Amino acid sequence: MIINLEPEVLQAVEKPARYTGHELNAVHKEWDSVGCHFALALPDVYEVGMSNLGLKILYEVLNRREDTACERVYAPWTDMEAIMRDRNIPLFGLESFHPIKEFDFLGFSLQYEMIYSNVLNMIDLAGLHIWSKDRAEDEPFVVGGGPCVYNTEPIADFFDFFIVGEGEELICEVAENFIQWKNAGRQGGRQGFLRQLAKLDGIYVPSLYNVTYDKKGLFKAIEPAVPEARPVIYKRLIKDMDSVPFVEKPVLPYIGVVHDRIMLELFRGCTRGCRFCQAGTSYRPVRERSKDHLRELARKMVDATGYNEMSLTSLSSADYSCLGELVDDLFKDFEGEKVSFSLPSLRIDSFSIDLAHKMQQVRKSGLTFAPEAGTQRLRDVINKGVTEENLLEATSAAFKQGWKQVKLYFMMGLPTETDEDIVGIAKLAEKVVRKYKEVTGKWGVTVNISVSCFVPKPHTPFQWFGQLPKEEFERRQRLLKDSITERAVKFGYHDARLSVIEGAIARGDRRLSQVIYQAWADGAKFDGWSDLFKNEVWHEAFKKCGIDITEYNQRTRSFDEALPWEHTTPGVSRDFLMREWQKAVAETLTEDCRRGKCSACGVCPSLKAKIVDWRRENV
Amino acid sequence: MFKYRAKITKGAEIRYISHLDYAGVMERAIRRAKLPAAYSEGFNPHLKLAFASALSLGVTSEAEYVDFELTKNLCQPEVFDKLKAALPDGVKLLKLKPVKEPKPCKGKKHKALMAEVEEAVYEVFAPLTGDWDKAAAVIKKFNAAESFTVHRVTPKQNKEIEVKQYMLQPVKLSMCGDLVKLDMDIALTQSGSVKPGEVLDGLCQQYELPVEYKRALIHRKEMLGQGKPLIDLV
Repeated sequence: MIINLEPEVLQAVEKPARYTGHELNAVHKEWDSVGCHFALALPDVYEVGMSNLGLKILYEVLNRREDTACERVYAPWTDMEAIMRDRNIPLFGLESFHPIKEFDFLGFSLQYEMIYSNVLNMIDLAGLHIWSKDRAEDEPFVVGGGPCVYNTEPIADFFDFFIVGEGEELICEVAENFIQWKNAGRQGGRQGFLRQLAKLDGIYVPSLYNVTYDKKGLFKAIEPAVPEARPVIYKRLIKDMDSVPFVEKPVLPYIGVVHDRIMLELFRGCTRGCRFCQAGTSYRPVRERSKDHLRELARKMVDATGYNEMSLTSLSSADYSCLGELVDDLFKDFEGEKVSFSLPSLRIDSFSIDLAHKMQQVRKSGLTFAPEAGTQRLRDVINKGVTEENLLEATSAAFKQGWKQVKLYFMMGLPTETDEDIVGIAKLAEKVVRKYKEVTGKWGVTVNISVSCFVPKPHTPFQWFGQLPKEEFERRQRLLKDSITERAVKFGYHDARLSVIEGAIARGDRRLSQVIYQAWADGAKFDGWSDLFKNEVWHEAFKKCGIDITEYNQRTRSFDEALPWEHTTPGVSRDFLMREWQKAVAETLTEDCRRGKCSACGVCPSLKAKIVDWRRENV
Repeated sequence: MFKYRAKITKGAEIRYISHLDYAGVMERAIRRAKLPAAYSEGFNPHLKLAFASALSLGVTSEAEYVDFELTKNLCQPEVFDKLKAALPDGVKLLKLKPVKEPKPCKGKKHKALMAEVEEAVYEVFAPLTGDWDKAAAVIKKFNAAESFTVHRVTPKQNKEIEVKQYMLQPVKLSMCGDLVKLDMDIALTQSGSVKPGEVLDGLCQQYELPVEYKRALIHRKEMLGQGKPLIDLV
């Protein structure tokens, strides 16, 4: 069946081009010419989904295979959803317009916890059963990947399986195994295929495990129920970034999207070791692409799209070992083609400022730094190796170059935080304002401070720490607001109500699936969109399921407690995380292992991986 | 600088992208074609593109016009072939001509595309929901009317537009398969114009034209200046 959207449907919705496909570089294959149909979903609107680098990579990797067709699907906005439900239009793929139900896989990129209600909504719009146990033989397998796989348990019952870690190689193995299983007469049915898949490194099939809880109701253990299931699933990892396929012909959206530019991924991993950061532990170790390979990729993507903007992306792009040379070479390669380059995040030092100056040339839109905490003491707790002097030097360099706008990111509710640390945020921002006056002799700077509410995440040194209650977040927000006396400082903060729900789900166990289901059934969706977030619905859902939300977000776990996320692991050991917690409390720093001392996090030995840093290689 | 005028389409595949996005499509296509495009000055250089007239969301066209500038004087076939090969689904290059500037001694430049366009020809298709005779009577009444006013409601303004001043020819009614077809010939003036969708909406609401307005499809056939297609003015 092919979904044909009538003009009266498309005329009635906002931005109809979200649903009409046909973009340049989209891959259209004859439906019957392939053995495996894979739908890749990002459970948010088109403009957000089209900006996700991971999905761009997997789309190309799968479509380069002759035996597989990969299509895109995103969450319809509420106006389109209403029409689809009203007219019984099922969710469809943006290439063939076949209903998702006719695909073999529906894969979700799971970027953060508050998108889960949209996952359920999309599964439902596709006409599939929400709970994996109810799915019929002819329904697609629902698979999840992305950062949330480091605690899959709250959504485990909705998914048939998860891909843990970097997916470029593994997703191809999944497609190959599927085609073999299909050609061999679908032996053993769905469960037969899932048991076969479970043998692959990096595949987690939640239905093949038994979960137990102790008398107090705490999570006790998760154990394999069949021989194919492994007790611990280590993430998959690409050892050589130069040998793995990357995006060469990105799909070019017709309408403006969030990141409407080329994304050139310089490297994976960041080992600066910030103790709050889940990306820091889950993408280890650092593996760089070579400079020449990056130049080649940049050329291919510019030629294939006609884009005139390129972002050099990574977790901390300024840490790329040959960044200066790379930028010089890219400037030469694209001379006369009016291509501009940008870095998504800046390190707090003058090297970064000089580079940003060189890249932005004349446009000085604003610089963003992340000191994360207001005092040196607290920055030491979180291992953010940045001092006040570093920040003032960096901003002073920026002001000399002509920047007039600085954005500073902070977090609130970090372990050991006191009111002094909160007031410290205001003081630090005001010092930046005065630095501008000192450097330029003028007033007229704007310092935007953006303060988020800290959510402790699995597989980080803060995974045991109890999150602050909403009221306490709000008190600290007021305290900070009252501490700002300088008019040049603009204060923006996150909705604490959302952060405490995220805090519960982030460290939840399998019992929370009932809560997520209930919240969705009662209307939760697009929770990340502040005007659509329904706080009451979530709290009601916890109540209806008889679950105390504070057990999950506010409770500090003890070190001998079993944690429900340890069986899908990025390879960072519990011992390392405990050591880091103790060092945090003692306010001592840990070196970046990229060039400094190894901190024995356990990733390299457990994944047989090694750091790839071109400057280190060449020494 | 060397200016070229292209006659291009906006096909069904991309009928739901805005005029601004359509301009972006052309800008990136010219870049992919590796033509030596001329850019605007300034901090944020943009390719120098000029369109004749914006097309509403949802309307297809077989006669969009865009002027662009190159820094080298390339021969027409080279520009045509390179641009044609770089266009995405939904945009076809129909014609391309270099724009001849008037003799430099006169100090004048060729008129801007937007100033040249005076007239747009549309076909509107919609399912008939009632009597053919009724439809014919409505169109006859409209063509004979002294004036006809429609309301334009946008987030910014609520405006009344007198339609008949822009209707260059009587609206022609015919059947095309299962659909009613209305031919409209509408003036585009410096001080304003009316959209074919607004005319249809007005006809349905005020004269009860028996067609399904929500399912209407609109297509632009041609854009003219001095009675000639814009491509023939250069």
